[in-house]
Amino acid sequence: MVDGWTTVVQMASLALAVWCGISAFRNRPMLVPHLIGIAVLEVLLLVQLVLSIVLLVEGPRPPDTVTFVSYLVTLVLVPPACAVWGLMERSKWGPAVIAFACLVIPVLMVRLEQLWNASVV
Amino acid sequence: MSETEKNSRAGGPGRLLVAVYALFAVAATGRSTVQILTRFEEAPLAYALSALAAVVYIVATVGLARAGRTSYRVAVACCSLELVGVVAVGLFTLLVPQAFPDDTVWSLFGKGYGFVPLVLPVLGLLWLRRSHPRAARSTESAGSPAERG
Repeated sequence: MVDGWTTVVQMASLALAVWCGISAFRNRPMLVPHLIGIAVLEVLLLVQLVLSIVLLVEGPRPPDTVTFVSYLVTLVLVPPACAVWGLMERSKWGPAVIAFACLVIPVLMVRLEQLWNASVV
Repeated sequence: MSETEKNSRAGGPGRLLVAVYALFAVAATGRSTVQILTRFEEAPLAYALSALAAVVYIVATVGLARAGRTSYRVAVACCSLELVGVVAVGLFTLLVPQAFPDDTVWSLFGKGYGFVPLVLPVLGLLWLRRSHPRAARSTESAGSPAERG
């Protein structure tokens, strides 16, 4: 795994979580800047996906490749899902959902690293 | 406007709850699918329970997200089943750990998932109680309940 990149994604995700958390507390719905934030996070996650696929093709692979790939795919699906949620719910609960999702992403990244390091180390 | 009123159970804080449920539905489904497809014989009981938990989460998500009385009952049933499941499996894994060679979502009261599986059905039931359809009967009775059934 590209360790530095994982940290970048985690930090970006946490920053977005804090921002959306503040928006939720201030009773704001999801707005265009939030959507841009989600888009940036999605790009970061797609880079992570491509990097991981390259590493998987080159080998060595983690012992539980199936689980590893399913985590990768799930991660990429989270930002679009929470964007849809934010569009459906035009209240402070929209950003609240995004904040929750952005707290889950770093946890998923930790699991991803654990799955990867099970073999490489 | 009447549309948002009718869906009030899924709106507001309910939306966050549905999102958390949806995540757990995905997590449990993914986990149990991988477990059952790749190594079912290692821990059949644990993996079968994983699959059951996944189904319960999926049905609960749909029940919470949809308006109407049937969905309400389905959601209550699923949240209750979930609470019973997480407590029963939690106790079981604590007392008879050798029966579960591998973890499920509900092992040790959902410890692997930050105890969220234990808290989630309680929050779900509280939310369902607060948004009971009887409280919104004035908006509900406008549409025929029979066509919903």
